[in-house]
Amino acid sequence: MVIRLLIPFIAILLFLLEPEFALFSPIELNGQTVFLVPRFLILYLIFVSIYYNRRRAVVYGLIFGLLYDVFYIDIIGLYSVLYPLICLIAGSTVKFIHQHLVITTLLSLILVAIMEIILYYFFYFINFTTITFTVFMMTRLVPTIVANLLFLVMLGWVFKYLINARVLQRARENT
Amino acid sequence: MPHFSNKKLILLLVSMIFIVALISFSLRDRQNATLPEQFIKDTVGLVQGLVAKPANYITGIFNDINSLLNTYEENKRLKMRLEDFAALQSEVNTLKNENKSLRDIVEKESSLREYVPIQATVIARNPDQWEEKIILDKGSTQGVQVNMAVMTAQGLIGKISLVTPLTSEVELIQTNNPNFRVSAVIQGENEEIFGLIEGFDVERNELIMKRIDSSFEVKEGELVISSGLGGIFPKGILIGEITEITTDDFGLTKMAYIKPAADFSMLQDVIIAKRNIITIDKHEELINEPTEQTQGTGE
Repeated sequence: MVIRLLIPFIAILLFLLEPEFALFSPIELNGQTVFLVPRFLILYLIFVSIYYNRRRAVVYGLIFGLLYDVFYIDIIGLYSVLYPLICLIAGSTVKFIHQHLVITTLLSLILVAIMEIILYYFFYFINFTTITFTVFMMTRLVPTIVANLLFLVMLGWVFKYLINARVLQRARENT
Repeated sequence: MPHFSNKKLILLLVSMIFIVALISFSLRDRQNATLPEQFIKDTVGLVQGLVAKPANYITGIFNDINSLLNTYEENKRLKMRLEDFAALQSEVNTLKNENKSLRDIVEKESSLREYVPIQATVIARNPDQWEEKIILDKGSTQGVQVNMAVMTAQGLIGKISLVTPLTSEVELIQTNNPNFRVSAVIQGENEEIFGLIEGFDVERNELIMKRIDSSFEVKEGELVISSGLGGIFPKGILIGEITEITTDDFGLTKMAYIKPAADFSMLQDVIIAKRNIITIDKHEELINEPTEQTQGTGE
């Protein structure tokens, strides 16, 4: 019972922790302002999608994306589309790519980078930002990916362990 | 099985149209939150507030350690300023008294300078940081209204852009929004020089103050405060310090770069300034309070 609730519980926890970590940003680094965007939730959902269940990850992505849109962004339909989409792509790669932890980590970082780029072009398009792509690369994309890499290196194996525990439990229930 | 049947294709198209409509709808009306939005914001805000408490406590410890490490240098610097401070304090006191007696003489009670502070805690910062905004734990039930000024102990940080019953959103002054203007005053040596703060230079990390009359002489290092003339902010909130002065694009007026006084990372406790000059609410409170008390004793 505890393990069953664990997967959504971690998702809620990460959703609530993201803005707290965002309070640390922006950081001054060598005289340059650097933005670190915490993307814990989507990284976790990518793990869920790859190791557990694609369908469930998409549903979680939709719910949390909608909450994210309403609470933080005030543009409804941005994250609530991107999150499920990323989960869907992640889940579809299972057939072609070996599910080793290192490969999954790299894959989720690539997906997050793609999401960041899409977001940049969206906000550029609606005139919320005027920075050029190179500036975006240096002050946002690279630091964000590095910070999230650190997060995954620390907690990626925990995610995998917990999700595997749930998968095993489910298999036992079914037999 | 075909990958995209007719049904799926139609569903995809309809949902795409729906999403585009939703995005454009939420982009257009950004002053008010709809009822379901308010409900979600309040619920998430409540839970977020619970999480924010321990998180703030932990960051508080880190800040304490950080300031402990800087103690020696800071102490040296502060000691140097202490002597000036004592003289300044006595001067402020005499000026305050003088101001009060002069006000009594002309019977002018309310001033643009006065405001009721509402203490609030930052419960979240927009995690994706494209639009600079923070979310506070006080909402319309505590008397917060749209367009109120928000500041820290150091200086102005922004204004309230959206209010729900239990939370409110602050648009920071370092925004890209061209409609965000603050009427400001440069405190020159003998005169006050008016201007408008509009825009933020992302690369320099500084605010831009425009429309300064070119006949005035502005110096670097002078302080900029809010003027209270915009009708929103109270007078006298520190905004920042001038770092560079140039002429603007047309060469008619001057333009100044201002280093903000407030620190925008690690925002925790802020003050919402409710302007005093509109006193209707206050009268109502005064009338309501005694009646509530008599009702209480009657029951």
